[in-house]
Amino acid sequence: MSSIENFLKNAVTPWMGPKGEYSNIVMSTRVRLARNMKGFRFPLDFSREEAEEVEQKVAAALEGMDDFSYIPMESVPAIQRQALVEKHLISPQLADPERPGSVALSGDESVSIMVNEEDHIRIQVIYPGLHLMEAYDRADEIDNRLEEALPYAFDGDFGYITSCPTNTGTGLRASVMLHLPALSITSNMARIAQAVARLGMTVRGSYGEGSDALGNVYQVSNQMTLGKSERDILMDLRDLTERLIEQEERARRALREHSPMKLEDRVWRSYGILTNARVLATDEAANRLSDVRLGIDMGIIPDVDLSVLNELMIFMQPAFLQQYAGETLQPGERDVFRAKLIRERIGMERGSGGAED
Amino acid sequence: MICDNCHERPASVVVTQSKNGKTEERHLCDVCAAHFQPFQGDFGGDPLGIQQFLQNWFAGPGVFQNAQPQVESGPECQNCGLTFRRFIERGKFGCPECYSAFRKELPEVFNKVQGGHTKHEGKVPASYSGRIAAERKIKDLRRQMKEAINQEDFEHAAQLRDEVRELERSLEEGGGHDVVD
Repeated sequence: MSSIENFLKNAVTPWMGPKGEYSNIVMSTRVRLARNMKGFRFPLDFSREEAEEVEQKVAAALEGMDDFSYIPMESVPAIQRQALVEKHLISPQLADPERPGSVALSGDESVSIMVNEEDHIRIQVIYPGLHLMEAYDRADEIDNRLEEALPYAFDGDFGYITSCPTNTGTGLRASVMLHLPALSITSNMARIAQAVARLGMTVRGSYGEGSDALGNVYQVSNQMTLGKSERDILMDLRDLTERLIEQEERARRALREHSPMKLEDRVWRSYGILTNARVLATDEAANRLSDVRLGIDMGIIPDVDLSVLNELMIFMQPAFLQQYAGETLQPGERDVFRAKLIRERIGMERGSGGAED
Repeated sequence: MICDNCHERPASVVVTQSKNGKTEERHLCDVCAAHFQPFQGDFGGDPLGIQQFLQNWFAGPGVFQNAQPQVESGPECQNCGLTFRRFIERGKFGCPECYSAFRKELPEVFNKVQGGHTKHEGKVPASYSGRIAAERKIKDLRRQMKEAINQEDFEHAAQLRDEVRELERSLEEGGGHDVVD
């Protein structure tokens, strides 16, 4: 087995798969529930003893649940913690070595229960494609089981009590990760971000430092957690997502109609760079991957599976690159390994895809 | 209007900062505005920049320099010691009890950070629905008690009062399941 195949075997996670509704545009769906326990200060202020007691209680509550492995963060080496962050399985805050915390991961990595992050408990479910209800139902079911064993902090007026008032109520944050290259190319995203904000939801870039939309990947999520039922929050987000998909598809049709050769040229140039470049910085790689993904979606590039692009968006990040390289890399070296990883991965796909000239 | 920070994208957010009694206004695009928030990314989960929303709570010139702190700090949580003022400054509660300590002030906080909503409409834990039912029943019994007193039916009022007491006792013990059918 080659090094790339070996790496992928251990690194790929089901939510990167090409399954699910609208999976050409919706990369993944994530649902998160914030919960806390009565009688303990929130992690921002609690003592070491309180932290340990919370951990013990949650670990005990999870004991009966099969298929979860409970991982104290202190037992995870820094680079693997970072890899969990890059895979979106834990938050950067939980990966902080200065803080206590654990994560319970389901076998298929679709569920991660973070303990002592900003709240005592955060239940997260990630599914590929657009599956808001399904992801919520899974989180809800786990929530019900935890509630049987744990004294949740709940208030008749304000609902589920959380460390931050922006999560109070349902404690529900639902988000959908969308690849919107045509809307970005046609400079429509600023307008859309404003419209989305007026609907009480947010749009922001999904990858990279800050909130630039690296690779035209955006995250749409609900802003309000209070005053609406979980179903209503999810339905509103679903409606908005479907409208964004519609707009993206319309922009793609417009690109094809008005400038087909420019579009094809852009896609194939990016493909050429990804399959030949020896040095690739993150932002260039992300933008080229976005072009190629668009090319695959629109039938311009055959024989490359979409999931390859999903994977590469994750694996070109620093921690995964270093796992792939098997050594610590300086930023300059990362660009070399990033180029190598992308070349090999796309090459692998073409090799198995057959019919190539 | 163009963003004051990147000078590229159109400004869509007005950020107001108060420093030493001076107020500064900046027009930012949503990308740059996000950089002024304390937490980044989906996990930080602070899409509105809560401090921004709350920082004018104690506003008014001179509040920070002259006023007596004990007057200005608002209620204090008996469990963790967080004052309301401190809560506003950092945008995070200290413990679940803070919600009770700041109960009177919180609707206005939520009004600001939750788009005008102040009351939970979603899921209720099974263990809590018994409690809510008991609380509703107490409310109802009290109303009936008042009516009975108005009609000078003191015997019935006393009966109702005993029922209320029993329900309250069971709530204090953390129950609520058994007393309500």
